[in-house]
Amino acid sequence: MSSDKNSPDVYDEQYSADDFEFIHADDVLADEDFKDPAVGYFQDAFNRFKENRASVAASWIILIIFFMAIFGPEMNDFGFNEQNPDLRNMPPRIEWLRPIGIATGNRQLERRRVEFFEDEERYPAGSIIRVRNRLTVNNVEIADVLVDYYAYRGVEHSFWFGTDYLGRDYWTRLWRGSRVSLAIAIISVLTNLLIGIVYGAAAGYYGGTADMILMRICEVIEAFPRVVIVTLFILFFGTGLFSIIMSLVVSGWIGTARLVRAQFYRFKLREFVLAARTMGVRDSVIMFRHIFPNSVGPIITRTMFAVPLAIFTESFLAYIGLGLQAPEPTIGVLLSDAQAVLLNYPYQSLFPAIVISLLMISFNLFANGLRDALDPTMRGVK
Amino acid sequence: MIKYTVQRLFALLLTLWVILTIAFLVIRLMPGSIYEDTDLPPRLLETMEARYQLNEPMIVQYWYFVQNIARGDWGTSIAIRVSVPVWEVLYSRIPVSLLLNLLSLFISLPIGILAGILAALFQNRRTDHAISFAVVLFVSVPSFVFATLLQYTLAFRFGWFPIVYSTSPGGTPYWWSMILPITALALGPIARVTRYLRGELIETISSDFMLLARTKGLTVFQATVRHAMRNSLLPLANIIIPMFTSILTGSLVIERIFAIGGVGGLLVNSLNANDHPLTVAILVFYSLVSLLTILVVDLSYGLIDPRVRVGGSKNE
Repeated sequence: MSSDKNSPDVYDEQYSADDFEFIHADDVLADEDFKDPAVGYFQDAFNRFKENRASVAASWIILIIFFMAIFGPEMNDFGFNEQNPDLRNMPPRIEWLRPIGIATGNRQLERRRVEFFEDEERYPAGSIIRVRNRLTVNNVEIADVLVDYYAYRGVEHSFWFGTDYLGRDYWTRLWRGSRVSLAIAIISVLTNLLIGIVYGAAAGYYGGTADMILMRICEVIEAFPRVVIVTLFILFFGTGLFSIIMSLVVSGWIGTARLVRAQFYRFKLREFVLAARTMGVRDSVIMFRHIFPNSVGPIITRTMFAVPLAIFTESFLAYIGLGLQAPEPTIGVLLSDAQAVLLNYPYQSLFPAIVISLLMISFNLFANGLRDALDPTMRGVK
Repeated sequence: MIKYTVQRLFALLLTLWVILTIAFLVIRLMPGSIYEDTDLPPRLLETMEARYQLNEPMIVQYWYFVQNIARGDWGTSIAIRVSVPVWEVLYSRIPVSLLLNLLSLFISLPIGILAGILAALFQNRRTDHAISFAVVLFVSVPSFVFATLLQYTLAFRFGWFPIVYSTSPGGTPYWWSMILPITALALGPIARVTRYLRGELIETISSDFMLLARTKGLTVFQATVRHAMRNSLLPLANIIIPMFTSILTGSLVIERIFAIGGVGGLLVNSLNANDHPLTVAILVFYSLVSLLTILVVDLSYGLIDPRVRVGGSKNE
């Protein structure tokens, strides 16, 4: 051989057996042990949700409103239907906000006779704050006068949100109304969810003729405009909790059903379903234990978007006079009652308007955040 | 296409018939008589029931009902405007509602498109953030809250606009009094158009043909308006047409707030007054509008984008 550089003998000259040692001879060979805790689907989604500041803020606002809806009505001693003729339309007054001119409990009384201003019977000491627009009509001097309405009426208690036209405490009524509105929204959304999941699962899983028939039924129901459905329900059952919830349920579940159906079509031919079927798992178990969990994300998102819609619909119905019967308040009933006295007592519109706007915005932002967080394609994206 | 349209029209009539039948059943199966005035002598009540065939069996009544409607006789109003044919009552209310709704829709288009383009062009900059914030606000807050706010501040406090709708048609005061209701109705649709267009444009802006347009020397604005918009405008039609139904529903409340004598107010009044023939006519009006809307949307898919084939058999 001309060149024996590559022959083992050459190596033998360069390396001796002592140059080699056994590695891992005594080690147990295993995959690396992950020190980080496992991140599941929901943990992962939660981590992503936390990044979205607007959604986090929205969820805090929702929590606060829920808290107030649950505990707010019991925070003072007034009942939601406790009428008091002496305390009609008291303006809102919050002691610690008075110095900056908010919720002062003052009210402008227009065209009062100036001669009575000194009369302690009519205007108790210290009740008059400012007098303006003095003018004389038919030899009677009149003026507009800004009074401390609580001193003027001799009321000791400060109503934070004022009272309504029957002297009912507005704080209690507002939170009671929020409670009823939220309850209507949650009951109807949960009902829709339940019907939609079962219906969509059946249509998607069995497919074929069953699917065709079930979807045609959906199309027929969907063809009814919402106003028409609500009107027919109210014609038949009268206004009330049942009609409102039912009118939200009649066509509300169809969207969820379509979504679930689409998800079932996506997953029902996957290998894991085949594996489950090979092992003899029952249809209902395959549907709800194996396929359904894959579609939880979009369903949660959809449900969250449905809540503000339900709150809106309830208020909308109350506004056109098809809401709950008095005396039970809802946000819609409060808004619609307040609309009649908007120009005189704007605060009665302001508070429910703020609550419903906050609820709608917060739920939409919250649902937006959830949609981005629960979407698996967003996984690992910063 | 023609075959498909005819099929759809037939389905539309079928749906209307189902709605009419359900409305008929709901009204006739309701507990109590249509005439609830207990002060009337029983004989008179009987005569009135006989006059309107209310004493006959349900199926016979239904037959009369279908016959009358087939002949174009929808009955007369029994409470709101007694003895006036229901469609006459309805016709007097439709123009103002339609005007209000169409104006809101047409106003929301240019504003929404402009805001959408701006938001997409200045993506993730201050303009975009401001517009996106406004979009969330206008999409979420109900139109009646805006209506109340506008009515109290602009109309009552500042006195810039009349507080309620002016009933005498024509002239500046009339149009002036329309501004607030239209604004309240249009805010939601504006936000929806903006949100949609922003999403579409942002997707399109990063595509190759946009790069080409920029390479051949167009400015960003030119490229966006002439090339990117083309693709987004067509599907826009499919969100605008259904918006008409939602504006129509929203105007129920707005009409009440601004005291506008439109169809919405009529529906509420006829419900509260138990004016059933009128209620049925209004329901048919609302159903017809909404069904036609859906039909137009479905047909427009094929017209706007020839790649979408509507109807036909599956072998074609």
